Amino acid sequence: MYLPDFEYYQPNSLAEACRLMAKFGPRARILAGGTDLLHKMKHGQLEPEVIVSLNGLERLREITYQKGVGVVIGARATHNDIAGSALLQEKYRSVCEAAHHMANNQIRNVGTLGGNIVNAVPSADLPPILIALGASVKLAGSQGRRVLPLEEFFTGVHSSVIEPDEILTEVIIPDQPSTGSTYIRFGLRRSGALAVVGAAVAVTMEGETCREARIALGAAAPVPMRARQAEAVLKNQVITPDLLEEAGVCAARECSPRSSIRGSEEYRRDLVRVLTRRALQKAIKEGHV
Amino acid sequence: MSQEYAVIGKSVPRKDGWDKVTGKAKYTGDLKFPNMLVGKILTSPHAHARILSIDTSEAEKLPGVKAVITHEDVPSLKYGISPARWDENIFCIDKVRFVGDKVAAVAALDEETVYKALKLIKVEYETLPAVFDPFEAMREDAPLVQEEYPRNINTEIHQNFGDVDKAMAEAYYVRTDRFKGQRTYQSPIEPHSAISIWDKDKLTIYSSTQSPHYFQYYIAREFGLPMGNVRVLKTHIGGGFGGKLEPTGLEFAGAVLSKLTGRPVRMFYDREDMFAHNRGRHAQFMELTTGVDKDGKILAVHANFVMDGGAYTSLGVASAYYAGALLTIPYEFDNYKFDMYRVNTNLPACGAQRGHGHPQPRFAFESHLDNIAKELGIDPVEIRLRNARKSNTTTPNEFKVETCALTEALEKARDLSGWREKKGKLPSGRGIGIGVGSFVSGAGYPIYRTDLPQASAVIKVNEDGSEATLYSGSVDIGQGSDTVLCQMAAEAMGYVYEKMRIVSADTELAPHDFGAYASRQTLMSGAAVKQAGEEIKTQLLAIAAPALGVRAEELDCREGIIFVKANPEINRTFGEAAREFFVKKGPLVGRGVYHVPKLGGKFKGAAVGTSPAYSFAAQVAEVEIDEETGEVKIAEVWDVHDCGKVINPALLHAQVHGAFYMGMGESVWEQVLFDAKGKIINANLAEYRLPTALDMPRLHSDLVDTVEPNGPWGVKEVGEGATTPVMGCISNAITDAIGVRIDSLPLSYEKVWRASKERKRNTSGE
Ligand SMILES: Cc1cc2nc3c(=O)[nH]c(=O)nc-3n(C[C@H](O)[C@H](O)[C@H](O)COP(=O)(O)OP(=O)(O)OC[C@H]3O[C@@H](n4cnc5c(N)ncnc54)[C@H](O)[C@@H]3O)c2cc1C
Repeated sequence: MYLPDFEYYQPNSLAEACRLMAKFGPRARILAGGTDLLHKMKHGQLEPEVIVSLNGLERLREITYQKGVGVVIGARATHNDIAGSALLQEKYRSVCEAAHHMANNQIRNVGTLGGNIVNAVPSADLPPILIALGASVKLAGSQGRRVLPLEEFFTGVHSSVIEPDEILTEVIIPDQPSTGSTYIRFGLRRSGALAVVGAAVAVTMEGETCREARIALGAAAPVPMRARQAEAVLKNQVITPDLLEEAGVCAARECSPRSSIRGSEEYRRDLVRVLTRRALQKAIKEGHV
Repeated sequence: MSQEYAVIGKSVPRKDGWDKVTGKAKYTGDLKFPNMLVGKILTSPHAHARILSIDTSEAEKLPGVKAVITHEDVPSLKYGISPARWDENIFCIDKVRFVGDKVAAVAALDEETVYKALKLIKVEYETLPAVFDPFEAMREDAPLVQEEYPRNINTEIHQNFGDVDKAMAEAYYVRTDRFKGQRTYQSPIEPHSAISIWDKDKLTIYSSTQSPHYFQYYIAREFGLPMGNVRVLKTHIGGGFGGKLEPTGLEFAGAVLSKLTGRPVRMFYDREDMFAHNRGRHAQFMELTTGVDKDGKILAVHANFVMDGGAYTSLGVASAYYAGALLTIPYEFDNYKFDMYRVNTNLPACGAQRGHGHPQPRFAFESHLDNIAKELGIDPVEIRLRNARKSNTTTPNEFKVETCALTEALEKARDLSGWREKKGKLPSGRGIGIGVGSFVSGAGYPIYRTDLPQASAVIKVNEDGSEATLYSGSVDIGQGSDTVLCQMAAEAMGYVYEKMRIVSADTELAPHDFGAYASRQTLMSGAAVKQAGEEIKTQLLAIAAPALGVRAEELDCREGIIFVKANPEINRTFGEAAREFFVKKGPLVGRGVYHVPKLGGKFKGAAVGTSPAYSFAAQVAEVEIDEETGEVKIAEVWDVHDCGKVINPALLHAQVHGAFYMGMGESVWEQVLFDAKGKIINANLAEYRLPTALDMPRLHSDLVDTVEPNGPWGVKEVGEGATTPVMGCISNAITDAIGVRIDSLPLSYEKVWRASKERKRNTSGE
């Protein structure tokens, strides 16, 4: 229940942060909101010798629109920054809603987007909606920068492609044809409960016809996953209630949830069916909500 | 003076309200004493294991560590809270009996060092086969948790009143249902802590306790000290709900560490320790058989229960008796049989949790009664009205109930909730249910055998009459007893609430009282306070009379003014008369004491469940179920209470809200879970899901009036009784919504999902 001793750095430039991470390598950890890192350290699950805080890097907190690029969210934006962003409210309210309904207010005040992604747990609430919207992440390291689709970021529970010396700096939601998106999470109480299952969708509708659908599921597999077979069910089809149910059934079939104290595999699978169908319905009818 | 009472019956602000909301209030863990050390207990990682050796040498060498103790350094006298079964040691001697059992303790300069030192204590164990299920534990070949209880049966009860077999044989319909409760934990917001100061022959302990008296008694006994040499007191308490009624290793180990080091020692539990220490709700396995006539009138009940007690007795003997004893209170029937086995397992010990032993059986009975009503085609409210207890009746197990307005409560709850318009007419996924509850207003007998009075009180008026102090051994653990008792004192004295001070829950400064449990303080402590207040008033009127030219009997005193009853214009102030009293006669002091009259029958266990008065409640809940996901939304609740005269309406309704909140958590969300080796897997507030404010429904708390002759001004209890109807009420509402009964608690989303799915499968004939 006590933090082990560590060295603490709070660089005020990204370059300096990268340099420190390169210097200390796997002995160091990035600190953003600390809602996950400090918890693990207090419980003896992690004992980094060095902590490099991002809290001196104010620029990493910005949420902006860059023409030709899309909406750029700094990795240090907190969940409440995201939930309250006027820009996101206007363009992708679905992302605001996802941030607003996770954790509890105290955690949303300090927990960050970067931490939510790099932490790489199946139940994280922001990756599914961002993947559905085709977002990519920018990583800065001593060797330079790289941008990759968020979908390709995760490799397993608590593991991802990020190198020990890399820092996630921003998430980019590209301009897109989609006409609606949403994320529905299912938790076991109204606040402070991790998602048992989360389903995010982005749909591109043309009248009654769905040109394209992207479905991303949380807590349904070791990593946030695309439900590609369910997507295929919808592609270029005229939407009917039966078709949406079929997509749900398909998503339930292709996901691979596990049993835990929050829910059995069987329960989770059925929730995937229901949530996928409901999310599709909502995004088709209501736009980016 | 139009109103009957000047001070009681009003929602005056709490005595501790300001300090609590501003953060100024200090809890035990916040207190600091010069040279104080910090201490913590090392617990067992195994559910059942023999201790082969303990090596504390590395821990002792750690800089900052001042003492490390094991069973060799403490008395080996067994303690407990139920005198029939003292079975705990300060530290385990030969073996550990659950994950979390106490093995050693450390005192050091700071918390960080304490945690480090605990890791350096080397304990060698030989693990033993463990048993986690009470039914397995009762088998002949099961490992014994405690050698002295064959087949691990810690408490066995067989009671039989009237002629159950005959009544069942004559019944129109006999039904048996089986239900299962779960382990829950009180989860008070304030973790337990205790500061022990052993100075020469005097031991002082600040503790987050519900009963300084029991702590004083048991601590003195353990260390062979006269009770007067042990002082137990408290500051503010952040909730107890039954979990802080018995002394813990924090008091015992802290005392020894303080004696050894000559310094104050603050011992504490963190959240995980609290779950392991437990003393929360027993999981009960409940089989109920009831025979009714064709109108649904109950003729006989057989309750056949087993409860998982965990490794020690704690308050479990009483819990076991309460489980069956209180089943007879709300409904009238003559024939009753109760069988119970409380069984030891290698899990944390269970004890008293709000409603003590009764809420799960009440859940079972309310569910069972709805099943019967459904079978007979009787409306659930109607079947309850037909069986509801009346005033001045006696239960088959010989509890006398003088006031009972359950019928009025049921009718009011039915009407307020719009039951008639809703029952059977709600859209799919919505349901409405009813449950009733009741509880003792203080237990008729204390926990250990003694002829001490239940409560006593002293009031001293300040020399110039500008304020008065109430000294009471009662314990405000957040429920507001300091406030309510000051109101009662002021009313009885003819004084003003705002000028009342209180010194409570301090075995040295305040007179004896057993403390905050069994919902006893408003009635019992209140009775002593009323008497003390009246003694002040009598003395004051006598001294005030000559100056007003009348006899004392012609005077009264109200809100600080002494006046001639026939002509209130003739008056003088309380303060002035009080000053005159002090000048002429010395301190103006009033004393009060409360003994319970002898209650109950002569059979074994007859004492448990006796009380001067019983509260009653009827509760209706409306729920909305998402049948596809199983999500339960408790939409709106109507609670109607018969709790006698209300002293402070705001505090009373707060109790109803809080009790509903707890009951709702136990109904749908809460359960302590273990892995295959007996270790708790959700000993934290993330995965032990107490509901949040957002889960709370709109709750209407209403009342029916009774005036209880056995309570001061007619009071009864509300604190625990208000939890008792909740689980049954929610269970019945969920059943109404989904069309099937889930027979085990909690009625979790996943269970509701599964039940809804199965019902659909059955009705669609798949
Ligand atoms: C009570 C509680 C409730 C919670 N509820 C939810 C919930 O409902 N949904 C949910 O998704 N999560 C929840 N969480 C988990 C957590 O709060 C979130 O995942 C949060 O977004 C983590 O962000 P952080 O800034 O606090 O991360 P930190 O703890 O600071 O970091 C987490 C990990 O990511 C690394 N890291 C952080 N930022 C970067 C970066 N920019 N570049 C590289 N590495 C980085 C850190 O080194 C660390 O390993 C909850 C946590 C708590 C304590």
